[in-house]
This record gives sequence, structure tokens and C-alpha cells, in this order.
Amino acid sequence: MDLSRIEHTFQDGLLGRSQDILRQLRGNARESAETMFAVYRNAYWSRLAEALGNDFPALKALMGDQAFDRMARAYIARHPSQHPSIRWAGRNLPAFLAAEAPYRDEPWFTDMARFDWGLAFAFDAAAAPAAGLANLAGVPPEFWGSIRLRFHPTLDAFPVSTPVDEARPRLLENAAIALDRQARCARAIMVWRVEHDVRFRAIDPLEHAALEAMQAGATFGAMCELVARQAGLDAAPARAAQILQGWLEWGAVAIVEHDELGSAA
Amino acid sequence: MTPRAVSSLGFGLGLRPQHYPVILDGAPELAGAIDWFEILSENYLVDGGRPLAMLMAIRARYPVVMHGVSLSIGSTDPLDMDYLARLKGLAARVEPAIISDHLCWTGVAGINMHDLLPLPLTEEALAHVAARIDRVQAFLGREIALENASTYVTFTQDSVPEWEFLRELHRRTGCRLLLDINNVHVSAFNHDFRATDYVDAIPREAVAYIHLAGHEHNGTYIIDTHDRPVVEDVWQLYAHAVRRFGPVATMIERDDRIPPLADLVRELAQARSLAASALSRPAEVA
Ligand SMILES: [Fe+2]
Repeated sequence: MDLSRIEHTFQDGLLGRSQDILRQLRGNARESAETMFAVYRNAYWSRLAEALGNDFPALKALMGDQAFDRMARAYIARHPSQHPSIRWAGRNLPAFLAAEAPYRDEPWFTDMARFDWGLAFAFDAAAAPAAGLANLAGVPPEFWGSIRLRFHPTLDAFPVSTPVDEARPRLLENAAIALDRQARCARAIMVWRVEHDVRFRAIDPLEHAALEAMQAGATFGAMCELVARQAGLDAAPARAAQILQGWLEWGAVAIVEHDELGSAA
Repeated sequence: MTPRAVSSLGFGLGLRPQHYPVILDGAPELAGAIDWFEILSENYLVDGGRPLAMLMAIRARYPVVMHGVSLSIGSTDPLDMDYLARLKGLAARVEPAIISDHLCWTGVAGINMHDLLPLPLTEEALAHVAARIDRVQAFLGREIALENASTYVTFTQDSVPEWEFLRELHRRTGCRLLLDINNVHVSAFNHDFRATDYVDAIPREAVAYIHLAGHEHNGTYIIDTHDRPVVEDVWQLYAHAVRRFGPVATMIERDDRIPPLADLVRELAQARSLAASALSRPAEVA
């Protein structure tokens, strides 16, 4: 066997796809090649499962150690790591849980995985200074409609159907806590980082729709129209302004842009 | 490529996030106890956040060595140039005294197994690894150091012992060696050779620095867990190595079950005094 064949066959052995590598291996004076190769195979699966446990601590607390370990191994079999850092091994886990039986029948799992992942992402994503309310104060009233936002590079926002934002801190404190697993809600969670501190906040579906629109480049004017369609014309201006101010107050926005006198209308 | 005066680094520790606060508090009992830190490069190949900020704050006070696990120098997959570019970018910020990784492969077919997998010790593998070291060193613009990993199997095709493989890599490429004394001990037990034969075959000038760590003994084989203190046999092998290599940069590596920094500082002091006595009274210690 040439080196490439050796490596592919060795890896197939670790992944449980073939035993052919054993004929190429030696154990020692006390143990067979099979026993010694199993050191590598066991280490592979347990290392990946442990890494997932570190990146998805609340999901692990929610599922319980044994069920999490079983799930992690099924996930790893389907999605081997392709990144130099083991920290990205769980990238496809929320989607896996949403698609695979039996996990897809429990929305808490997908939601919690998504939440854990958002927090892990924000932890060491690119840094940027945050804009503040002062950046709004300088905008002449006639140009408010033209405001566009560039959000903080750590910002992640996703809808959930279970109150994982309330449950997560309690679960991490005590994995045995009784949760109402029937509880459902309609909300989204925003996660971002201020300096070195990761923050999160639950927002309602209207605010999430406004956020997605402005993340896609919509102006504040367009966002107001979106809010008006759902909240009504009377309530819209105050509600839209309140949403915008919130994002700025919380440090979720990096840059506020707007048209100026002399710029294209 | 200029050789670096690494022996002057002294005695270091692996940097672990649990210890950021106590290191940065500059506790008086740490003064003079730790000469340098080794970082796990992959933890800092990120775009921002607390880890990078902590690293740069610690770098302002200590020399740093970059130690990676994903170079996969022995893989028959293409070199990951994106990874290497990020590594080079981190090195430009950190200005490490040394950049190291392992003599191993970590995956093929685009998969990363996140383990240090063993290579058959053949002329084919030697030529393959040497050619890749040349490319990596040319890309990084500096020499790298490769560590001997603990291994649990050998290959029926093996034609040379690992120490000869490493010595030949050094000769062909100028790469340095990161000699993990614990891993020598572990592999010696697992493959029934004498650990001192290994150490004695390594050329003095090849050693960039030394790792010391603990392991788990299962009776019929040893697993390199790096999760407990250095054992007596490894201390003895270390003394033997110091007598052979002279003053060489040394560090304690703990990857799991991380104790308080003070415990590691105490273990490091033990390494320091053992090295000093091995150097001053070679015959007596032997
Ligand atoms: Fe090591």
C-alpha cells in the first residue's frame, strides 16, 4: 500500500467503515494491533463528542449526558469535521437536529443548539466598535428615512419556537431543573458581543422582521413601512423608532449611514 | 532562515484560558516563575474577541511560542494554504519565538480527525513529509519545529525507527524538533524500545524545545492524556535529555483537568531545578 492508501484505509478504520488497516498494523508484545488501533478509534469519537459538549453546553444539559453523547456520535458520523479548528465541528448541528428523527420532533433541541452556536460564534467573531445613540442624534430629521445600518459583525439573529432564552441560564446552573417542555412561543433571539462580553436579547417577530430587512440593506423608511403594515399606521413611527434606538443602545449596530444634503436623493 | 536562540527561552507553560486572569493580575508569586508561554495556535486563528485580546496582553509581557495541531504535515491531502495563511497572519501579530506542530497527519479526503495520527516510517513517507516541510518553511519564511507524537500502533512497512526518521527530516529540511519527553516514554513502552535510545539518537542542535507532561498507564499500554503531573520515569528521562542537549527550553504541557496555575508553576520549578542539577552534577545525577 502506498502512503495515500494507508492513510485512507486508516481513516476508514477510525470512521468504522472498514477493518482493512489492521493487516498493515502491529500492536506490541502485550496487545494486538486491533486493541491498539481501538485506542485511536475510541479517542476520535470521544474527542469529537466532548468538543461538541463544550460548544453546546445547554443542549447537553437539556438532553442529558448519555442522550447527548449518542446524538453527537450520530452527528459526527454524518458530518465529519472539515475545519482546522475543532471549534467549528458543530457548525451543522442545528440543521442536523432540525432534519433528523427523532430530534426533529423536539423543537427545544434545535432551538437550544442554535442558541448555543450563536453564543459561540459571537465569542470570537471579528471585533468592531459599536455605534451608539449619539450617531442618531446627528441625523437631520429629513434624512431619517434614508438611514441604513451596518450591524455589528458578531450579530446573529434567529427565530425560536421555545423559550430557550429563559431556560438556558437556568439549565446551565442546574441541568436537572424541571422545564415545561410543552411551552411554545413566537420570538427571535439576537446574539452579539460588546467588547468581550457576549449579549443576547429576545425580540418579537415584528422586530425580527425589521432586523432582517435592515440587515438586507433596507432603509429606515422602508423598515417603517414594514412596521406599519403589521402594527398599523398610527403606532408605526413610535414603534419603528423604538426598535432602532434599542439596537443602538445595546451596541448591536456598528455604523449608521444616511443621505446628506447634496447626496443623491 | 536564521536559527533562533531558543535555549534562552528558559522554562514555560502552555497557556490555558482558565489562567488568563491570574497571569494578567501579575501575582507576585508568578514573578520570575514562568519565562514564556506556548499557545495553541488554532484557538487564536479567529477574527476577534476575548481570546485574541488576552493573548496580545500576555504577549506584551512574555515571549510566546505558537504550537499547532492542524498542519497535518504527513497527510497526502494537499497542504491547507488557507490555514497556513492564517497561521502566518497570527505569527505576524504574535512574533513567536518558535512555530511548532507535530510529526503526524490529521486526516485525508478533506476530513479533519482532530487527532495526531501515526505515519508509516518509510522512505516514501520521509520524502513526502520533507517536501511538505520545505514548502511550509518557504511559505512561513522561517523554520518550524515538529513534535514526536505518542503512538499506539506501528506499521508492518516501517523501515526505520522514529528517531532516525526525525533525524533525517532535520537533516533534509533544517526543521527543528520539539521533543516531547513524555511522548518518547509513552511510545517506548507501547512499542517496546528503550526511551534513552531515542533521546540519544537526536542531534543536539536539532532540539528547539522540550515538552513535559503526564499520561495514563493502562498496564499493557500507555495513553498520552496530558491530564496529570509528570511521572518519575519521565523526570528521569528529562534529566537524561538535559545532560545530552544542555540547557534547552522546556515547558509543562497540560491539556485536560487543568489545575490552578500555582500547581503548574510548582511543577515547572521542579523541571528547573532538575535541569540545573543535571547540568551541574552530570555524573551524580546519572
Ligand atoms: Fe507535547
